Amino acid sequence: MRLEIRDLAKTYPNGVRALDRVSLTIPTGMFGLLGPNGAGKSTLMRTLATLQEADAGSAKLIGVDGGGDIDVLRDKDAVRRVLGYLPQDFGVYPRVTAEDLLDHFARLKGVVDAKARRETVRALLQRVNLFAVRKQKLGGFSGGMRQRFGIAQALLCDPRLVIVDEPTAGLDPEERVRFHNLLADIALDVVVILSTHIVSDVADLCNHLAVIDAGRVLVAGEPDALVADLRGRIWRKTIDKSDVEAIKSRVRLVSTRLQAGHTVVRAYRDGAPPEPGFEPVDPELEDVYFSSIAGYVGEAVDVPAVAA
Amino acid sequence: MASAFWAIARFDFVQRLKMVSTWLYLVLYAVLAGLWIAAAGGAVRGVGVSFGGEKILINGTLALGIAIGIVGFIGITVIGSVTGRAVQQDFDVGIHPFFFSAPISKRDYFFGRLVGAWATLVMIFAGVAIGIVIGSHWPGVDSARIAASPSVQSFVRPYLFVLIPNVLWLGGCFFVLAALTRQMAPVYIAGVIALVGYLFAVNLLSDMENKTLAALIDPSGSTAVDVFTRYWSVAQKNEQEIPLAGVILWNRLLWAAIGTIVTFLGYRAFRMESVAPTLRRRAKKKVVEDVEGEAVGTASAHATPLPHAVPDRSAAAYARMLPGLARLYLGEILKSPRFLTIVLGGVLLVIGNAATLGSFYGTNTYPLTYKVLDVVAGLFNVFVLIVTAIYTGELVWRERDARMDDIADSMPAPTWLAFLAKFATVIVLQVVLLAVVMVCSIAVQLLHGFTKIEIGQYLMQLFVLQLSGDILLAVLALTVHTLVDNKYVGHFFVGIVFLVLVQLPLFGFEDRLYLYGSAPGLIYSDLNGWGHFLPAFFWFRLYWLAFAAVLMVGSYALWVRGREARVAARLRNAAARMRAPAWAIAGTAAVVFVATGAWIFHNTHVVNGFVGREDARRLQADYEKRYKQFAGAAQPRVTAVDVSVDLQPERLLARISGTLTIANKSDVPIRDVYVLYPRRARAQKIAFGVPATLADEASEMRWHHYVLAQPLAPGAVTDFRFDLEYGAQGFANDGADPVVLGNGTFLNPGLTPETSLIPSFGYGADGELSSDRDRKEFDLPPKPRMPDLNDKQQVMQNALTRDADFIDYRAHFCTSADQLPVTSGYVVKDVTENGRRCIDYRMDSKMTHVFSFVSARYAVRKDVWHGPQGDVAIEIDYHRGHEYNLGRMVAGVQDALAYYTKHWGPYQHKIVRIVEFPRFSRSGGFAESFPNTVPFNEAIGFTAKVDDRDPDDIDYPYFVTAHEVAHQWWAHQEVPANVQGDEFITESLSEYAALMVLKTKYGDAKMHRFLKYELDRYLLGRGTESKQEQPLVRADGAAYVHYQKGALTLYALQDAIGEAAIDDAISSFLRKWKFAGPPYARSVDLLAEFRRVTPQPLQPLIDDLFETITLYDVRAVSAAAKEQADGSDAIELVVSARKVRADGSGKETEVPFDGEVDVGALDAHGSVVALEKRRVKSGENRITLAVAKGGAVRAGIDPLGKLIDRDDKDNTVAVTR
Repeated sequence: MRLEIRDLAKTYPNGVRALDRVSLTIPTGMFGLLGPNGAGKSTLMRTLATLQEADAGSAKLIGVDGGGDIDVLRDKDAVRRVLGYLPQDFGVYPRVTAEDLLDHFARLKGVVDAKARRETVRALLQRVNLFAVRKQKLGGFSGGMRQRFGIAQALLCDPRLVIVDEPTAGLDPEERVRFHNLLADIALDVVVILSTHIVSDVADLCNHLAVIDAGRVLVAGEPDALVADLRGRIWRKTIDKSDVEAIKSRVRLVSTRLQAGHTVVRAYRDGAPPEPGFEPVDPELEDVYFSSIAGYVGEAVDVPAVAA
Repeated sequence: MASAFWAIARFDFVQRLKMVSTWLYLVLYAVLAGLWIAAAGGAVRGVGVSFGGEKILINGTLALGIAIGIVGFIGITVIGSVTGRAVQQDFDVGIHPFFFSAPISKRDYFFGRLVGAWATLVMIFAGVAIGIVIGSHWPGVDSARIAASPSVQSFVRPYLFVLIPNVLWLGGCFFVLAALTRQMAPVYIAGVIALVGYLFAVNLLSDMENKTLAALIDPSGSTAVDVFTRYWSVAQKNEQEIPLAGVILWNRLLWAAIGTIVTFLGYRAFRMESVAPTLRRRAKKKVVEDVEGEAVGTASAHATPLPHAVPDRSAAAYARMLPGLARLYLGEILKSPRFLTIVLGGVLLVIGNAATLGSFYGTNTYPLTYKVLDVVAGLFNVFVLIVTAIYTGELVWRERDARMDDIADSMPAPTWLAFLAKFATVIVLQVVLLAVVMVCSIAVQLLHGFTKIEIGQYLMQLFVLQLSGDILLAVLALTVHTLVDNKYVGHFFVGIVFLVLVQLPLFGFEDRLYLYGSAPGLIYSDLNGWGHFLPAFFWFRLYWLAFAAVLMVGSYALWVRGREARVAARLRNAAARMRAPAWAIAGTAAVVFVATGAWIFHNTHVVNGFVGREDARRLQADYEKRYKQFAGAAQPRVTAVDVSVDLQPERLLARISGTLTIANKSDVPIRDVYVLYPRRARAQKIAFGVPATLADEASEMRWHHYVLAQPLAPGAVTDFRFDLEYGAQGFANDGADPVVLGNGTFLNPGLTPETSLIPSFGYGADGELSSDRDRKEFDLPPKPRMPDLNDKQQVMQNALTRDADFIDYRAHFCTSADQLPVTSGYVVKDVTENGRRCIDYRMDSKMTHVFSFVSARYAVRKDVWHGPQGDVAIEIDYHRGHEYNLGRMVAGVQDALAYYTKHWGPYQHKIVRIVEFPRFSRSGGFAESFPNTVPFNEAIGFTAKVDDRDPDDIDYPYFVTAHEVAHQWWAHQEVPANVQGDEFITESLSEYAALMVLKTKYGDAKMHRFLKYELDRYLLGRGTESKQEQPLVRADGAAYVHYQKGALTLYALQDAIGEAAIDDAISSFLRKWKFAGPPYARSVDLLAEFRRVTPQPLQPLIDDLFETITLYDVRAVSAAAKEQADGSDAIELVVSARKVRADGSGKETEVPFDGEVDVGALDAHGSVVALEKRRVKSGENRITLAVAKGGAVRAGIDPLGKLIDRDDKDNTVAVTR
């Protein structure tokens, strides 16, 4: 099973081009969608989750359950039957208990039989570790608990396509780990699309990824391969705080970081160090991310000319 | 999946059941309905809930229909809240993506939510029925007003026809609005519009012509029910089931159609998408693109250095911020669509009502400033309340709603800054609304072509008097919202508090010392301005403003800042927050509060005893229980009055002294004399011409029992000297005493016991309780309105005064030099000196023992009527500026004198004087007739605006003048006995007389138009009868009988027997009874004259018109025109006729119809082209009528509506050829 997205395009009424001919092939397993805020990730998520219309292009779920294909854009009902969606920004009815609301969603997802529903709900609540508080009102849940509830409803009824939009923003480290484990468990024969701007999440979890900015896919592929591509092209130097502005105009800066109080910059240069003082380093996924956003690799996006 | 629909509907309904608010609503409606019904049934003292008179059963069909309909419609906000939130909360909370990405269809979602909301509402409104059932059996409800076993139908029908349809279609519209816009604001706006529609319809109803329109445009359907049952008798209103027919059916169909279409269109437009399409203005919100630059991979660790600013955190600096902060809050609100819509709703309502400003008989009054303010400010007041309530809450919750409170609360700005800024904003909003009122009012005045715009009055009324009260309400709302920790619950409680404040006085809690924000009413009069009523008003305002200041300090102390909202935390914070300035303010305010409170208490309880409504009624009951036994005792009768009135308007003092010549006209000696004069008149001297001692006194009941040393022998005469001083002292709970004014004092001794400043003799039944319901409460038997027609004792009393027949009158009336003192009689001497003007009046013939004293700064218009036996002077004393209708009044006097002299007999005086008095005067309603003097109300005749070009306008200043002049004959020449039917002589004849004068000047068409209004008001009055309707011969004080029915029947008689015959009867009656002393004339004497001049075949008409309550039902079935050989048309009419007799409560029995009725034809303009009298019998009649060719457009029976028929629209039908 795979999700084929071809030339998906969407422009908002105020002229913003949210999706600019996005094409991706997403196999089963965890797929990471990386990009800065406003890149178009959420638009893509919502379009795939049948909540928004695309202006052009297609998206098809090929080989669902050994059977036929589903046209994601046009056959919304079919998609919804196999969909699990956890939006970036959502709320819950504050005065309803977790168990009641999950039961209601289970009913809406088609579990008509009350007994089967009860079992499914119990199992899922245990899975996301909310069983102990299932009779509490959702209004009192913390951010992390709400996220777990959200993933529980997304996992109702064995979805084949799971879309998770910025799920770990606002979770503490322990909750993040828990969340990752949850996702990893289900990813075996399910297409899981995880959109985030936290590079390390993708590095840890995903076997495929794409970087998207301004509605365009910049790079796509397996993390290891993309990192390997950058070998020999990433350089590092410790500089003075006041030199950052100056150095920007001289080299292709990838990132600026503070390490133990010192300012460390990383730059891109194919072949030779960009400047005296730079030492070579092993690239990381983060370098892939920043480099593609900056336009040094992959599809270029309006990058000002810099001395090579 | 169809069953997803049920899953959603059931889930929503079950969740709603678990919410406290749902049950709160149900209880609220039960309580409202229960209170309404219990109050109507008399369980709650003094509440003015009436379904139209005391005989209407409170759980009869009509009462239930109204209660269920109106209470249900008050719930429009609840309908909006429940259905709107049902869908909007998904977007508000942000849970909608889950539903939209689930495998459910749009139909399941949309209608699942809608049906769930509907079910909730139906359940909530069941509370109304529960409340009604409980309320009808509440202890204290008069059992006579409950039907023993109300039919189930009478509950079910209003629900099915009125309430449930409203829930369905209104709920559907609100749901659609909320679903498409994903906001609650449009729902609130729609609620306001629906409310406006309802209020507009209610007001339209006051103009008879627009009844059908009003019935249709009222979305709640209750106006349609009102119009449909308008002319139902009391019996029908209690028992007849309200049908789904006529205008009710059309209203329901119309609004059901609207609701269905809106819901359907909404469903089509609704999209289960994350972002709604173009309907949502938010799409145009500027999405700011993030700035490039630092975003490229850098955690910006090296921003440009930040400038260093020195903060000023002094109190003065923050105080300077106050206006700016308030402006910030204001800007947001003034531009919001919600606020603008509320304002627009108010403006629309005002403009809509401006057209029929103060109309009377379909004719308008001039839009004087006070009149326009009355109407506009009254209508707009609701909106001011709504805005105050809503926006106080919005402002208090502003930061928390925007989730900015953590940031804002952690700022170093003092708490009082935001607190005061928000309060100031609400006040400015109120000012803005009042300014809108002013602009609208001025616009209304200009639209009517009226340019006398009194800015001073506007400013005072709106920005001083009204605003001070609105500020108090704002403080109250602010306090509630501070204390209650939830915005919506806060709104709820603010609504409750406002409601309770309004209702409390009705439940017997009348003392303004504990009614927050109350102050005595003020009525502006052009004559007296605000008068001496202002000080009391301002004392109360000061009192409550001081209290409000304390509330403000309290709210400031308990203001929520930070996350802690529980009581203990707030109290701790309060202690820290209250520093010297706050204590100083609170302390000063408390001192002012207590001091003014003491002063007010001194005035309202000590100087003027506090008498609540209940106490006043008890006094009346005790009066009757103790003293009625003396009712039959022989008492002296007044034969001459020599009175001296010393009025000091600038000191609000009146001194009335004089000598009454009294005689014993009975045949037994009189030893015990009972003298009545009001408690407020402080007696300086009371003395008889013979020695007498005061044996018993109950001054609060006006009772003074004197015993003469030597009994007064039959036929003996003596005199009685009195000296009473009447002056306002301080003020009472209801304000300053309104009897003596700075300008426009009108003393009417005979009107009410409280204003009878001339002592009277003998037990007066006018001091008794008149309402049967009140009497029952004090174990008094019900009493008829008037003594029986054949009462042997009362025929010896005249209807005007119980202690005199005809008197000689002399008065010496002094007032300040710039005023004109007026009373009955002729001017004998007029002297102005030492700043005082004194006029001596004398009546040179005998007159009735009624007179009045009026004094004001008048302009005088003099005119004359040249009669066959000499001239009659005409004088109009009016307030400078009210010249509008002087010409009409003069013409009215002249034409009236001419007609009455010609047709009946001469006028007994040499002058007719019309005197203007202030509109709020306790002494008069409309206009009244004293011997040769007619006081006339400022707001009615003097400021009427008659449009002579408009055929629909009735010249009622002219008409009322003619009516009052007629009273000089019927009441002052011929005085009837004090029995039933007396007003048939005085009022019906006068109304008929004025009608004839109107017809002579304005023609038949105008007269028929006027009679149409009379018919409508008669039929309306029948449904509001609180005792029993009487036929005219036994008329007992019901205005709709002796005015309206009197005019209709006397005209009908004239139409049947001719004007000459009726004149013969009337003048003969006058000749026999003119100035006749006891025994006095009765209605039967007048009827005897009518019978004398009526031919035998028409005698039954006299029975129908005057001796019974007879109603007709004539209807044209068809009218077919056939061309004749000679070129004329012969119209074959098929008409049906029916006659019923009704008893006092309206139960009807059919009687055979056999009489002469008009049949005729009308042209396209409604003018008569043929009219003949034909014999008509019960049932179907075929009549052939000859008409000029092509002339007739409609034809039928009684085309001019002379018969008393509940539906005269069916009298004619279109002519078919």
